Amino acid sequence: MRIVRTIAGTALALIAATSVAQGAESWGLPGEEIVRFEAKVVDVLCELSGDCPANCGEGKRQLGLVNDDGKLILPLKNQVPFAGAADEPIDFCAKRVVADGLMVTNKGYTFMALQFVREAPDGPWRRANRFQNKWAERNGVAPDSDAASQWFYNDPRVEDVIARDGKLGLGPKADEDYAKKQ
Amino acid sequence: MDLKAAVLTAALVFGATAGTAPATLQAATPERVKVTGEVIDSWCYLTEIMYPEGSAHHLCAVWCAAGGIPVGIKGDDGQVYFVLKTGSDTQNVANPGVLEIQSHKVTVDGDLYTRDGLNYLLISEVVSDEGIVNLTHDEYGIQPFGD
Repeated sequence: MRIVRTIAGTALALIAATSVAQGAESWGLPGEEIVRFEAKVVDVLCELSGDCPANCGEGKRQLGLVNDDGKLILPLKNQVPFAGAADEPIDFCAKRVVADGLMVTNKGYTFMALQFVREAPDGPWRRANRFQNKWAERNGVAPDSDAASQWFYNDPRVEDVIARDGKLGLGPKADEDYAKKQ
Repeated sequence: MDLKAAVLTAALVFGATAGTAPATLQAATPERVKVTGEVIDSWCYLTEIMYPEGSAHHLCAVWCAAGGIPVGIKGDDGQVYFVLKTGSDTQNVANPGVLEIQSHKVTVDGDLYTRDGLNYLLISEVVSDEGIVNLTHDEYGIQPFGD
């Protein structure tokens, strides 16, 4: 378990370190490649099925990037721990952006970690960490507070699920039994 | 024919519509599927940054789902399916209902779109939900920090 903690900690540290860089950096992931490309921001569900609400679903839908070859790229991750990328390019719905980050190919799938984005061709760069500010705003805390940077320990939706189901998802007693064995 | 169907038909006939790339049309017809598997956090599973399955990863899976990382199903067929819709609910970022079933083994019916190597699943119905049956915490602890 100690090895797992170390790997997870290293990954989180790499993500945090990248947040002060001016371009994409390696996170040490298997099959990663640093990329920068232009693409159109799309609502993935709309792109596939034709179900297209206004403004790419107003942040409630996963966003994809369609590059100049017509390839749909799915960003899974931004620069905030345990957070996805949907908040990052939402202001550019249906517009062209320059996406900067890691293209990862592993287990037979190719997907992206978005680290920076800007409106094409030369808008100002944004770090892909807007999730934290939006979370802080929704939860009434300062964006640079510990509560916001460790949002996953303070999220009321998470707290509700874990209070009911436990960390293991097997009920609070299973957590207690597990803790006694440690 | 409703408006959406009319637009799609026109697109198929004329090759493209304003703002719609040909690649969209390529994936416009889904395949009806039944998928059985574990609800997973796609990032941790696909990057292998930590042990990503079952009870050991439940806490992290809830965090990641709440954080808006795309939720997937690791099918018993070995495929990963990204969930874009559940019934009539089209919220696929931090969906509260999907948050509740992290790490569960489920069987679902739905429409499958495959585009550029990824599987996108629009669930029509959750046929069964067995809860968490993949008990991995004794071997792998509680991911990612052990407590």
